[in-house]
Amino acid sequence: MKLDPRTKLFMIFVVSLIVMMSATTPFLWAIRLSITLIPIILLILEKKYASALRFLIAYGTALILTFFFLSAESEGLIASLLIGYCGIVVQFMPALITAWYVVRTTKIGEFMSCMQKMHVPDGIAVSLAVVMRFFPTIKEEYSSINDAMRMRGVMLGGGNVLKMFEFRMIPLLFSCVNIGEELSAAAITRGLGGEVKRSSVVELKLGIADYLLLTFLTAATVIFVVFKYFL
Amino acid sequence: MEKKSNRLKAKDFITIGIFTAILFAVEFAFGMLGYIHPFIVASYVVILPLASGIPMMLFYSKVEKFGMITIVSVLLAIIMFVGGMGYLGAPLIIISGIVADLIAKSGNYKSSKKIVLSFGVFNLWICANYFPILVTADSYRQDLVDGGYSADYVNNLFAAINVKTIGILVVLAFAFGCLGAVIGKAAVKKHFAKAGIV
Repeated sequence: MKLDPRTKLFMIFVVSLIVMMSATTPFLWAIRLSITLIPIILLILEKKYASALRFLIAYGTALILTFFFLSAESEGLIASLLIGYCGIVVQFMPALITAWYVVRTTKIGEFMSCMQKMHVPDGIAVSLAVVMRFFPTIKEEYSSINDAMRMRGVMLGGGNVLKMFEFRMIPLLFSCVNIGEELSAAAITRGLGGEVKRSSVVELKLGIADYLLLTFLTAATVIFVVFKYFL
Repeated sequence: MEKKSNRLKAKDFITIGIFTAILFAVEFAFGMLGYIHPFIVASYVVILPLASGIPMMLFYSKVEKFGMITIVSVLLAIIMFVGGMGYLGAPLIIISGIVADLIAKSGNYKSSKKIVLSFGVFNLWICANYFPILVTADSYRQDLVDGGYSADYVNNLFAAINVKTIGILVVLAFAFGCLGAVIGKAAVKKHFAKAGIV
């Protein structure tokens, strides 16, 4: 199934909005859960079973722990660590799943043409596209730097926090800067930053699935807000 | 942005994107620590400026055009919004970015003093994330308790961040921003200027 990038962006917006307003009643929780399930279902439709399952398990465990084993009164080290873990997962997982889904399934070309259609200034669109593309690269570079450091015996910088930080940060910056140069060379050869309005190979069009999802998301937001603040 | 020679080009946008990604990766890595204890949330004003000093100083020396920090702050605001940090802080993040940009511009992006000052101001964006805790204190507290946080955590959080301490936090963010900038500048000089990357 192919969704329009605009629908995906709207989905990110709605999910973060609903996650931000905390759910207080079972009904609100139900809305929140169904909103969280959408990206998971979409991931399954995209045949990304492994990540869908991972997210589902992590989120489910955290939810069960929060509801059945932890309360506002729980104390102790393990409990506070668990609360920390569950807090992160329950709070950020929905937005994270959605963002992950969008980044995974949106090609940069699609994203740019979508931004152009929404009249987002070029500067923000290009920078945002780079940010989106760059997170996996940072992770990759970081783990290879870590490996290299370990190979040379620089495990933790000899316990010196500053050294530890420096030994990882500086090489990471070096490689990121180099990748950046290559990236901009590649982008400029493809006509980025030219005077002419860029055309796009991808023709964006809202389909039935898009309209359905947009309606559902809007309805969910409205119901959530009404039930939380007005009833 | 009007001056032709000083306008941001496609290459600069890519650089901005990369450094925003790095900045956010640093922020994210340390941000997760905040779930261990609320006092760490308050100490972001010390940790983050120091940690992000090196990449940001490299960034300052790489672009040197008006708008660079503004765009970073807009992107940060977007990411923070998506990350569920709230919409109240977003305008403040952008304002601190614009002011930081103006300060750096007044020194033509060359003057060390102005850059140090500008990074200090830029770091006020960290405080912008505390904003919902201050303005909507009661409902936010309720939200946190309902959201599955322990009462202990919430109490400590509000003990660390409230209307009385925010002044200190802002000053700390600024001071450590300046310190981070000085350290970052030294590190950039030590590693990158020698290698000819800047």
